[in-house]
Amino acid sequence: MTVSLYQTGVSGLLAAQQQLATTGHNISNVNTEGYTRQRAEQNASLGLTNGSNYIGSGTYVQDITRLYDQFSYKEQLSSKSNLGNADFLDSRLTQLDQVMSASGNAVNDSLGLFYEALNGVADNPNDAGLRSIVLTQAETLTNNFNELESDFNQMQKSVNGEIAQVASKISEISLEIAKINDTILHSQDPSQVGQPNDLLDKRDQLITELSEYTNVNTVIDSNGIMSVMIGQGTTLVAGITPLTIEVRAGDPDPLKTGIALVGKNSSAAIDASSMGGSLAASIEFRDEHLAQARTEIDRLAMAISSTINDSQASGLDLNGLQGANIFTDINATNLQLGRVSTPSSNTGDVNAQVQINDVSLLTTDEFEIRYDGTNYVMTNMTSGATETLGMPGTGPFTSSSPDYGFTFIENSGTPNNGDVFVITPTKNSASLMDVTLKDGNAIAASGAVSVTPSSHNVSAGEITITNITDPEAARTYDLTVDVYESAPNTFEYRVYNTATPPPAATIATGTYAAGGSVTVDIPAGSPAFQIEITGDMVGSGSSAREEFTISDAFGVGNGTNAVAMAKTQEQGVVNGSKETFNQSLAITTSVVGSKASNAELVADTAEAMFTQAFNRNQETSGVNLDEEAANLLKFQQAYQAASQIISTANTIFDTILSAVR
Amino acid sequence: MRVSTAQFYYQSTLQMSNKASDVNEQMGYISSGKRVLTAKDDAVQFGTLAGYNEDLANIEKYKRNITMAENQNSLQEVVFADAELILDKIKQDMLLANNGRMSNEDLQAVANQLRNSFDQLLDLANTQDEKSEYIFSGYQTQQQPFSQQVDNSVIYNGDSGVNQLQIAKNIDIATNQTGDAAFLNVANTIGGFSADYTTNTSGVSVESANVTDRNQYNTSAMPHDYTFTFGPGTAELNVLDSGGANVFNTTNYVAGQTITFDGIDVTLSGNPLPGDSFKISEEENISIFATLNDAIEWVEKGAVSTDQEQHQVDYNAILNQLDSAMTHISSRRADSGIRLQVLESQTNRHLDSELNTATSKASIEDLDFAKAITEFEQSQTALQASQQTFTQVQNLSLFNYL
Repeated sequence: MTVSLYQTGVSGLLAAQQQLATTGHNISNVNTEGYTRQRAEQNASLGLTNGSNYIGSGTYVQDITRLYDQFSYKEQLSSKSNLGNADFLDSRLTQLDQVMSASGNAVNDSLGLFYEALNGVADNPNDAGLRSIVLTQAETLTNNFNELESDFNQMQKSVNGEIAQVASKISEISLEIAKINDTILHSQDPSQVGQPNDLLDKRDQLITELSEYTNVNTVIDSNGIMSVMIGQGTTLVAGITPLTIEVRAGDPDPLKTGIALVGKNSSAAIDASSMGGSLAASIEFRDEHLAQARTEIDRLAMAISSTINDSQASGLDLNGLQGANIFTDINATNLQLGRVSTPSSNTGDVNAQVQINDVSLLTTDEFEIRYDGTNYVMTNMTSGATETLGMPGTGPFTSSSPDYGFTFIENSGTPNNGDVFVITPTKNSASLMDVTLKDGNAIAASGAVSVTPSSHNVSAGEITITNITDPEAARTYDLTVDVYESAPNTFEYRVYNTATPPPAATIATGTYAAGGSVTVDIPAGSPAFQIEITGDMVGSGSSAREEFTISDAFGVGNGTNAVAMAKTQEQGVVNGSKETFNQSLAITTSVVGSKASNAELVADTAEAMFTQAFNRNQETSGVNLDEEAANLLKFQQAYQAASQIISTANTIFDTILSAVR
Repeated sequence: MRVSTAQFYYQSTLQMSNKASDVNEQMGYISSGKRVLTAKDDAVQFGTLAGYNEDLANIEKYKRNITMAENQNSLQEVVFADAELILDKIKQDMLLANNGRMSNEDLQAVANQLRNSFDQLLDLANTQDEKSEYIFSGYQTQQQPFSQQVDNSVIYNGDSGVNQLQIAKNIDIATNQTGDAAFLNVANTIGGFSADYTTNTSGVSVESANVTDRNQYNTSAMPHDYTFTFGPGTAELNVLDSGGANVFNTTNYVAGQTITFDGIDVTLSGNPLPGDSFKISEEENISIFATLNDAIEWVEKGAVSTDQEQHQVDYNAILNQLDSAMTHISSRRADSGIRLQVLESQTNRHLDSELNTATSKASIEDLDFAKAITEFEQSQTALQASQQTFTQVQNLSLFNYL
């Protein structure tokens, strides 16, 4: 009886000790990430039979358990993946928004200053100072484009860096989980009831960390071994076998890195964009948002270069020469070659390039040209529209429905079936934009030819110079154009050298109908310039037609071409001639801005969802210090009471002993 | 609900950091005075804002162009005003010179005055602007537009180039007038032809000679010179073209009748006498300098005793042409004046739309300070409150009582 009281006291003492240890463990781990509070499950020992009664014989700690709710834990995992994804997009898009708003503004401002300088030349075509300012401003403009592009490159690099870091993080986690699985497997004694709680916490903590980078799914078998699936179900840890993640260079663009799952003797690429978490967000940001902004900036740079250069080419500089390119030629050979990238899987040896014909038709899409064994077939990667271009060797190829404004040119080689060429028409335009003109006098401010109507003209007709391709040649012409109504509602025109009027040979003759107009190439074939004849010019008879003379207009004080150049600021050029340069930039910036503000909303929601899941999980599994303090007191008292039992037993024992002494 | 210690700390810090970020964001808005700092702040309005900025920049550009055009046009206006004064003086001198009581010496003095006026006018026509560029030489701004030859005639070296500046989206305005339009293309008072009198005993003169049917005129013999001969009968007139063909003849010329041939209508004034003969040749415009040279030559002839009738006919022709020159210069001056007016009214329109655009821009972009500061105060209070709650609540621990 007394002996059992001793035992009972000791069992209470031991149980209280374990309780205190568990409480202490909980208190010490209050700040441990991923820690799940533990509880010692205490049970009463079976009593001893004494006659017809059971007499209790103390207590024992049956099990130390984690207070763990796997459903709330899984919910926390999935909301963590969403949060990782949304947070990454939010922070990156905010950064892009800031870059676009700051560097974009710089581009906008320098574009304005460039046009201001051009306008100054239009005011004073003969001012060398103003002319050199144009080039300085052009320099600033290209620098700002280059700067913006290098910002983009920097962002791409850092995203790639992050992908690499995440990949190695995932690999480490995979190895560690496998190791924990191994430990759990080997430490388990079948006779043992308790769970290795802290190992399980550690493993769950690793899974939580993993879930920030990608979607995670776990399966635990009867032995407590966890298998981990990431993304769409790709196995990362199979029992005690870990697989790792490796970054692979993109093909054909090495900077579009992807990831691959590497096992002992095999490796397979996985689609990172469908993996969820921050990994998918990095891919989405890099390949969609950043790429889109970059393409649009490239297209803008190309449109500006092309418009200004074309305008330059139709005028004459201070020395009477055709205006040379101010900016890098958009069809420079290195640019043309750079627009075509060939994946390493191609077996043919075709070397190709892409020439831009019309910047206003350019879209921001990417294209793929595939040789299907017979023909080249072009696919718009954005819309999916395809068009058969034709057989190899019959090029150059230009798509017709719709016309995207560029031509695919094969330089050499023959393709093999299945060969693919990826076309990025705007590639490198901003990064390689440069000012190639060095002399301010070479700005083509002067127009080449002008039209003077005769004072004897009687109708309101007009002749306009529409397109000057060779201003130096155009200058050499001294032409007369005459028009009269040769038959009712039919107007006959003649273009001839003023010095040799008809009946000598004319340069062009023809008729047009009332209300119509006609464009004449001068000379026919490869025109140096074109004129457009409009209006119903009746004339006073076949011998007294409406006359116009077209003659050399070059002069140091002639600023007509500079005026035309300055006016391109207000012309719609980009995107089907709908947007001015400024508008195009504003649209690009506001698209990024709206994506960023959208991402912020999504991130806020994801944050709230995560907080809820976290709270739910903490409700069950988190340590509350007040509770533990109360427990501490409780178990301390239990310990003291149990000690008192032993002391009582001792006294009883002593009493007996003294009685018999 | 059971609240874990970690949860309490996590939520408190999350809330405080959210509030602190609110305060920080609002500080950014208040210190910049702008509501839209990046496109993210108002992606919808950002495009509109960029449009307004572009509009404002364009208006700035137009205003600069307007100032430029104003300077150039007012310089021309001043030059033409001076030219008007000079022509006025010349006309007075001519009226003075026609006084029969003037001696040869007097006339010589008048001729000298006329020469001075001529030089002044030539100097005006060769005006340079502040950048030492000739304002009347078209595109050839470094080429002196008018130069006097040995025979006193003046030739034009410029071209007919007119520069235009953009002063509004669809309005271009000329900044210069060319020398030929300003000083050379003065309408011939007679019409399309000038008369050269060979024999004139009656004082007959060509009143008008105009092309009425250009189709017929263009097909007639080149050059378009016609010789008029009266007589031998009193009312007999023959007109021969440059090839010697008789294009008009009548034995019954009535004074003042219209003589029509080769698409030309000619009327004469005065009663011609047999033997009178003159030639008309095509000349639509007569340069001011040519008229002045004629005037000087006429005055320098001094008091003439012979050919009095012809002398008077020449005088009338010169005076008429001088009037035409004055009208021409006035119209040139009016041309510049009208442009100045257009520029001024355009400036006002730009100022209006600038104000308008700036206001619209401000309504999108500028911060409502009252609202912003209220919001700032609110966020600040919220931050303070959450900080205080945190410190107080985190003090509540059972361990404090152990």
